Amino acid sequence: MRPLTDQEMKVVLDKLANYMSDLKSLIAPLEDGDRYVFRLNHNRVYYVKLSLANLATCVSRDALLSLGTCLGKMTKSGKFRLHITALPILARGARHKIWVKENGAQPFLYGSNIVKAHVGRWSEDCPEHQGCVVYSMADIPLGFGVTARIPP
Amino acid sequence: MAPTRTIKNKHAAPKSGSKGGKKRSSTDGVSKSKSSKGKKPVISATEIKGRPNLPGLNKDKKKKQPVYTDKELGIPELNMITPVGVTKPRGKKKGKVFVDDRESMSTLLALVQAEKEGQIESKMMRARQLEEIREARRKEAEKKEAERRAELEQTKEAIRRKRKRGNKGKKDGQEEEDGESVKELAATGSKAVKAKKKRVSFAAD
Repeated sequence: MRPLTDQEMKVVLDKLANYMSDLKSLIAPLEDGDRYVFRLNHNRVYYVKLSLANLATCVSRDALLSLGTCLGKMTKSGKFRLHITALPILARGARHKIWVKENGAQPFLYGSNIVKAHVGRWSEDCPEHQGCVVYSMADIPLGFGVTARIPP
Repeated sequence: MAPTRTIKNKHAAPKSGSKGGKKRSSTDGVSKSKSSKGKKPVISATEIKGRPNLPGLNKDKKKKQPVYTDKELGIPELNMITPVGVTKPRGKKKGKVFVDDRESMSTLLALVQAEKEGQIESKMMRARQLEEIREARRKEAEKKEAERRAELEQTKEAIRRKRKRGNKGKKDGQEEEDGESVKELAATGSKAVKAKKKRVSFAAD
């Protein structure tokens, strides 16, 4: 387990910024003086409290399976892929949102695209090819994706 | 003989070495003769001259050699043991530079966020422009459609009016007596004829 390098951190934040508007809240100090940090272990990036990360240093790299919240993994070509485990963090500061109706939630959870008929409401100023977080009508985050639009 | 010569040559050799290969033999001979004639002053003189020269020369050689080998020798770059791109700067620290302190992280964060904001803003601007163009086209199309419809309505209306007029004329013609209708026909003249023609064509449609 190690902290991220400059380049890695930039790639990770760049990806997160596609979905989140307020990145600064990610590293804001907590009430108890602690803060969240990013850690890399086995190519996976974890979002974890500093105190926990310090405790985890006593576990060897090979033995350490996971800690904190897994945000995603770094590919071998140096890109970053978000995992679904990052959803609660993305949902907290989502830039664009889409609420799907009851009849559209199940198809989305099973891997289909969201069709226009299933959209309950959505952020009006959302452009094309922009990351957005998908919620159910009861404001429960279901997933995230990229917007697409078929011209009329 | 050999060891003594070498000892004597130790003093002489650097001289000869510094001057050149050809003079070695001659200097050796000279040094021998000098040493044999007056040992103390001559040796001291040669030593004084030779000693400061020797370390100086050696130092110069040692200093210059690495400089030459590194840069100034005309060895092609690809012929090195390490490839050109792989050589790393010497003074630099090895390993990765981590970003863990809050200050550097927040600066990086602000940088990334500003960049992303710019990108999204430009994307939205472009989307808006495209939307405007699309809107303008749609309006133009609607306007054309409305004009076409209005024209169609107008022609329909005109045809209806003419039809009504024609019907009225027909009714009048049927109801009224011939004498009165003749007057009207005379007044309208060719119009009545035209109306009759149109009625026929309209019925055909």
